[in-house]
Amino acid sequence: MNWLSTDQARELAARVVALTSADAAEVIVTSGEDSLTRFAENRIHQNVTETDTRVSVRAVLGDRQGVASTNRLDDDALASCCAAAVAAASAAPADPDFPGLPAPVPVETPTRAAAGAREFGPEQRADAVGAIVGQCSSRLIQAAGGVASNLKTLAIANSLGVDVGMETTSVRATVLALTDRGGSGWASFHGPDPNGLAADALGDEAATLARRSEYPTDLDPGTYTVVLAPEAVADIVDFLGYLGFSVRAFEEGRSFLSGHLGERVLSELVTITDDALDPEAFGLTFDYEGMPKRRVPLIERGVANGVVTDSYWAARTGRENTGHALPAPNPYGPLGLDVQMAPGDSTIDELIRSVEHGIYVTRFHYVNVEDPVPATLTGMTRDGTFLIEDGALTAPLKNQRFTQSAVAALDSVRGVTRQRAFFDVMLGAVLVPGLLIDGWEFTGQTG
Amino acid sequence: MRDVVFAAIDAALLVGAHYADARIVDSREEQVSVANGRVEAIESGESFGIGVRVIADGSWGFASSAEVSIASAELLGRMAVEVARSSARVAGTPISLAEVDAHDTQWSGPCQIDPFSVSLEDKIALLLSADEAMREEKAVKLTKAHLGFFRVHTYFGSSEGSYIEQNHTESGGGISALAIAEGEVLTRSYPNSHGGNWLQGGFEVVRGFDLPGEAPRVAEEAAALLTAAPCPSGVTDLIIDGSQLGLQVHESIGHPAELDRVLGDEAAFAGTSFLGVTDLGQLRYGSDHVTVTADATVPGSIGSFGFDDEGVPAQRDHLITRGTLTGFLTSRESARAISRTSNGSMRADGWNRIPLIRMTTVSLEPGEWSLDDLIADTDDGLYVETNNSWSIDDKRLNFQFACEIGWEIKNGERTRMVKNPNYTGITPKFWNSCDAVCSRDHWQVWGLPNCGKGEPIQIAHVAHGAAPARFRGVRVGVGR
Repeated sequence: MNWLSTDQARELAARVVALTSADAAEVIVTSGEDSLTRFAENRIHQNVTETDTRVSVRAVLGDRQGVASTNRLDDDALASCCAAAVAAASAAPADPDFPGLPAPVPVETPTRAAAGAREFGPEQRADAVGAIVGQCSSRLIQAAGGVASNLKTLAIANSLGVDVGMETTSVRATVLALTDRGGSGWASFHGPDPNGLAADALGDEAATLARRSEYPTDLDPGTYTVVLAPEAVADIVDFLGYLGFSVRAFEEGRSFLSGHLGERVLSELVTITDDALDPEAFGLTFDYEGMPKRRVPLIERGVANGVVTDSYWAARTGRENTGHALPAPNPYGPLGLDVQMAPGDSTIDELIRSVEHGIYVTRFHYVNVEDPVPATLTGMTRDGTFLIEDGALTAPLKNQRFTQSAVAALDSVRGVTRQRAFFDVMLGAVLVPGLLIDGWEFTGQTG
Repeated sequence: MRDVVFAAIDAALLVGAHYADARIVDSREEQVSVANGRVEAIESGESFGIGVRVIADGSWGFASSAEVSIASAELLGRMAVEVARSSARVAGTPISLAEVDAHDTQWSGPCQIDPFSVSLEDKIALLLSADEAMREEKAVKLTKAHLGFFRVHTYFGSSEGSYIEQNHTESGGGISALAIAEGEVLTRSYPNSHGGNWLQGGFEVVRGFDLPGEAPRVAEEAAALLTAAPCPSGVTDLIIDGSQLGLQVHESIGHPAELDRVLGDEAAFAGTSFLGVTDLGQLRYGSDHVTVTADATVPGSIGSFGFDDEGVPAQRDHLITRGTLTGFLTSRESARAISRTSNGSMRADGWNRIPLIRMTTVSLEPGEWSLDDLIADTDDGLYVETNNSWSIDDKRLNFQFACEIGWEIKNGERTRMVKNPNYTGITPKFWNSCDAVCSRDHWQVWGLPNCGKGEPIQIAHVAHGAAPARFRGVRVGVGR
């Protein structure tokens, strides 16, 4: 019932490659243990743990491909899985653009699994929850959230000699604090190791924000200067990456970068890079084809610089493979899972002090895309939205709806914080600062 | 399987659990995708494992593994109790469950043509045919076609004596045409967006969609959107087609009526609900035209089953009766809060997940109008079809939806096409503005195989029955 070590996962991947009767094969082995303790109303209401190992086989017959996967690891099941992948490849029409599986390239695999994460069991998670809840219950505030640990091993092998593996860990904690006067506060932590988790401080941060946001008031819809805390920026950068930074979207005319490489498309204060090798990053350093994730400068001081690729789209478009493949089969195209925005030189307090009349946003909720090219997004604020008057936070506000182009917003950045934080998002993790943005469109508010 | 299920339960009881259930889930799926004439994905997968859920020391614990054996089950039973005891370090009121009868039975969903017995070549040929038909339209630069099939067997047992085996098959698919020009991407989809439509059943389901037959219209409408006028901004009468209205029901009635959300369990992730338990029987949720049911017995719906994942029989219940809130979606634990028994809404996304309160087939019951009569009865309005985007606040009050296509209504006639229509509102105000719902002739069940909830995220397969309906004085063209 244990997950596999890196060596065990690599051995299994190589064994399944050899089992596959195809011209070529690629095998991804994902193994891990995920645990989560959730709490609400100041008590633990959900406590789960899961171990699983999954094997995915991509069989190649000439220029045809098929994929099959299983979590049954006995010899018969693995053989059936390989046979299903071969059968799928046999049925597939020829794809003359398929360049074949990639050949091995040296991959740097730093140690990123934290020993502390392995020791972070249900009792330790419960103790962290206890500390968070204690900060809230002592102030007659209701706390909700979760404390999670994820231990993951990924190994990839192919019949051309790719053979890589890596173990990663992550710990995440979230705290929502709710008061009976409409106050709502939030704090979160995401890192490779529970040693960075200060549960008391997290509970205090959320509870303090909740008290400060009590009795929220109305705001007229309109255009405002906003200060976005890093967690709010995370959503905007995440969606921009999903919509705009893939070579596929770029080539199909669906990206705001399409036709604009080398041009200034965002504010000069905005530099965005995909960099899995950053010393602060704690994810995988290779993609789902076993290729090294290259550092890709996407936006440099506002200028469109590049997009991410994988082996298929690199060959098809004559670009370098930047190592951003998702697991096959991948109808989405390559995506950046390690996007980060460069820091600025301000603090969040300095950004607030520079605003005469504006809005401060702690984080967003339920963001979605209305128009893909300008990355027009709609969503709500939550857990601490405030009016800024004469450089200070004043009245707490009801949650506000925005309908705003992310491209236009990031072209109107006026300030960037030095401090950045990691957030796990739809696409991997992002590392982002807080931002001061002019011209943000709020289009409604909660009832 | 029975032996393994009860080995887990017995092991948990032996070390102090006062309730235990175990579920073995054996699932299989297949996905085939085509884009611009290229087969982009042929993928099959299977997943097999066991999850054990217990109450010990008054708290929940859960443990799961892909290893399905007597020894593994016994270990999981003991682990789940250990986890529950750690939960008890930050405990609330001890967990208690509403009563349910024990059942020893089986249930199967409908399936005429086993989709896993149909050759991949036939599936690819169907998709390529539809894809090719869409690419006849020159303004369409990207075409997508997709089929998916899913089969699951579950083996559930509880310490209260139930043992239930269930299996069902789901089939779904759809097509999309994207017209792309000068920074604009305009999409038309059929039979629905975001993966098409899904029903319980076999290959007959996707054959019935006639994807190749609909492809030319889909492509033509996508192309026409390029030159259509932008959706005007303002307040108008809005007629919403059944597929979009299904999602409207999903987001602004189904989710807020989940009693675990009402009680705060999902507060930190997807949010709570504007509803409270004291609103039951009191809150005017909508107009007299609004009656909403939660029905896990609708034949062929992906929201249907024999028993939920707590062993509660499938039921039809009213959430809203002629505009008044009359029910919630409940679990055995949460039903206690409203002094009722569970209406069977607990489902888990696989062996490695605990059951959560999930929608079944949550439907706006049909009215009496024909769509033609409804449009003819509208002086000045907008008719919209097919969801493009959705967003709603953490209490399920302020929503905003965008649709793929719209048409203005002037003096009772559908007139010019508009692109990128969207609308916004506040849930109870919006449903109270409903003054007409189309008849059963227009009513259809829409399967949504992508409802996300909970942490770790669980994807539920739910459904909504809906016919077009009219809403007075809705704000449209937001941010345009």
